[in-house]
Amino acid sequence: MSTVQSDLSTIIRSNENPLVRFATGAGLIVLTYVALYALYAVQQPRALTSYSIAALINNTAPLALAAAGQAIIVISRGFDLSVAGVISICNVTLAVYPMDGPGGALASVVLCLAIGGSVGLVNGYLVAVLKLQSIAATLATMIICQGIALVILKAPGGSVSEWIVYEMTDRIFSVIPVSGLILGGVVLIWLALKRTSFGISLYAIGADETSAALSGINVTRVRFLAHVLAGCTYGLAGFMLSAQTATGNPTSGTPLLMLSFAAVALGGTALTGGRGGVFASIMGAATLILLQKVLFSSGVSSFYTGMFQGCILILAVVFSSLLARLGDAK
Amino acid sequence: MRDVFELEGETRRVLRDQTNFSHSELTKDTFALQAIGLRKTYGATVALERGDIGLKSGQVHALLGENGAGKSTLVRILAGAVYPDSGEMFLDGAPYAPRNLMEARQNQVATAFQELSLVPNLTVAQNLLLPKLPKAGPWFVSAKDTNRAGEKILARHGLDRIDPQAEISKLPLADRQRIEITRALENAGRVLILDEPTASLAETDWLFERISLARERQVAVLYISHRLAEVREICSEATVLRNGSAIASVGLADATDSDIFEMMVGRKAAHQRTPRSTRASGDKRARLAVKQLGGHNLHNVSFELRPGEILGVAALEGQGQQWLFKMLAGLDQPAEGQIYVDDQPVKLAGPRAALKTGSGIAYLPEERKTEGILGGLSAATNIVLPVLGSATRSPLISPTLETAVAQSSADKVEMSTRYLNFAIGDLSGGNQQKALIARTLATGAKTLLLFDPSRGVDVGTKQSIYTAIRNFADEGGSVLFYSSELPEIVQLADRCMVIYGGQVVRSFAGEDITEQNLVAAMLGHVTSENTIEVKA
Repeated sequence: MSTVQSDLSTIIRSNENPLVRFATGAGLIVLTYVALYALYAVQQPRALTSYSIAALINNTAPLALAAAGQAIIVISRGFDLSVAGVISICNVTLAVYPMDGPGGALASVVLCLAIGGSVGLVNGYLVAVLKLQSIAATLATMIICQGIALVILKAPGGSVSEWIVYEMTDRIFSVIPVSGLILGGVVLIWLALKRTSFGISLYAIGADETSAALSGINVTRVRFLAHVLAGCTYGLAGFMLSAQTATGNPTSGTPLLMLSFAAVALGGTALTGGRGGVFASIMGAATLILLQKVLFSSGVSSFYTGMFQGCILILAVVFSSLLARLGDAK
Repeated sequence: MRDVFELEGETRRVLRDQTNFSHSELTKDTFALQAIGLRKTYGATVALERGDIGLKSGQVHALLGENGAGKSTLVRILAGAVYPDSGEMFLDGAPYAPRNLMEARQNQVATAFQELSLVPNLTVAQNLLLPKLPKAGPWFVSAKDTNRAGEKILARHGLDRIDPQAEISKLPLADRQRIEITRALENAGRVLILDEPTASLAETDWLFERISLARERQVAVLYISHRLAEVREICSEATVLRNGSAIASVGLADATDSDIFEMMVGRKAAHQRTPRSTRASGDKRARLAVKQLGGHNLHNVSFELRPGEILGVAALEGQGQQWLFKMLAGLDQPAEGQIYVDDQPVKLAGPRAALKTGSGIAYLPEERKTEGILGGLSAATNIVLPVLGSATRSPLISPTLETAVAQSSADKVEMSTRYLNFAIGDLSGGNQQKALIARTLATGAKTLLLFDPSRGVDVGTKQSIYTAIRNFADEGGSVLFYSSELPEIVQLADRCMVIYGGQVVRSFAGEDITEQNLVAAMLGHVTSENTIEVKA
């Protein structure tokens, strides 16, 4: 019987189809972005100047960071609505209590990380420890946070410290945008995290929580940490948004809520968990923002932007699942 | 002063130990793992009433019982996945009360679960090594070391052919089960618990070899299986559970099959083979015919299924039988060949289309949990799902009517009425399977495709399922079924085809359907004796 067995068993090797990897990894979204950028450059030759690139990245950074945090939660099979609340609180805090100079900026960024981290702690406690549904728990924290933001600042106003507004949107040596560096840093941290036990566990609990627990993974701890980490990333998003807008608005985070999910989905991260990545989600966010620019430069009224963004999202999801199916059929 | 006190404490403990020194204290030391009076309830349901079991080092101990007898609960308690309400456990004489799986593993008690506890999107190596992956430096996990360590483990257990870097979800079910067992073997220094380890394995050689090696290492093995033949081959003792209580622990050499059945079900199992009447008459036209069907790894598969006929399919795992059933159920399209229903060439676009085609084809899928039941809905709803229309006083579904419709099908599989209103996910595996078979019967289809209809169910349920299938055929229905258990094919089938390497290599009919004949053909040993060629 055993000889028959070895006859029968084909040798299983993980020669994974490159098509599948392309469709499930960041390849597709990067390619989309490059194609869209080429279109943008054709329309606007100035698009290739370092000034325009920096402006684009500055515009991208808040949504990209929000999507990065959201991706961490989505990978672990959850949803985090508190992103809108955290960004709003950070924004109004920086507008109401501006701290000038580089030291003030450092204090501000630490404050934003602390705000995001604290909300993440609460989310983590509700979702990981009390085992509440993430969408319900974070909906509650989002509403609370938006309330807090209104308490801090009742109506749009205030002004963010000039040092932050100027330096965070500037270019180093007139070439490298500071916001790009920050995004790069987040991607690097993510790539490092992915190689830790935490990173592997995050994907594991997203795919199958029970099996992950039976494999000895501390599901509660991983989920808790994920929420704290995501919260800090939202804090950073709030910081970058404030640098962008230079002023405070208690509802500034709200537009980023749904777009952060769109960016994650556009980047190929399955909303059912266990697949995807932070880099792809950042690229998804970048694509959404670039699309706005392209439409604007094509003379399409900004009222249509949402419709185009939605259609692109559907196309991307259909296309990536088509590619994946094609790859699987081989 | 302190010394005196401590001395006093010590003396007192010694004294107390001596006074308690009784016979039971003596025996507990002779067991590697002993459980006394374990009890676990979930709300009002008593999952385990009185779990007593003793495992000895270097011996394989079987745990037998019908579905719902409390086997899974007992296993989960021993494994550390569930904490008992009361009762005691001792590991080599020392108190043992694991709060979770890792605590059990630290005590070198490891479990291979029936429902497999592998993470699908991680690699084989990562799954084998979790939660402690080899590190490169203080932070990062080393992929290279992980794969190397995984490769070593695989090689140690005779699974070199499996790539440690392969993602679990890409592996066939049987290999996933082997990985699950391998991981348990790696962590089982003292006690190894195998819950239905052969559920997805068509052959047991690899497993039994691994178990004997574990025995040589003086590991105590708890083996849970429904397959008595297997249990007899590998186990020396058995504990029988019935209705949540340990009925007896017996030496398997002294107990006959019917003794064990009696202990399991509380009545002598009538296990004589029903005489096979030639229900299918040759002149009736075929209800389902397949000509030169191909696709995936199937080639040139042709057969006919007539009214009143039970046609069995025998094959080792992964010979293409899944694809045959999926194509006939409309879940997959054949690459070549033609399917005929009631002599009409058909193209089956999906399971619903298959149901509506001609006299109808209903399919019982392989994976009960993922492809079959809708866990949150009641058993009655699960049964009437394909025929919801008949339970409506339009436009609303009437619960009474629903139960009534479900009941008529449930009766055919001897499923008790009281289960109909339970959420199906809360029922035992046997009752879930009964409900699913009732569902295929409720469709009114004249052809049933049953993929391993009695997989992982107990003896009593099996007999109910067999009776339902026979009655269905007696009333003129046609049944095509695959079974991973040969005795089932021998008992049920009027005719049997053997699939090997994607082709029908042999067909047997009537008295020629014997386990020996089937095994030989399944392994590809094709002889021309005692066989009937396949009708094209």
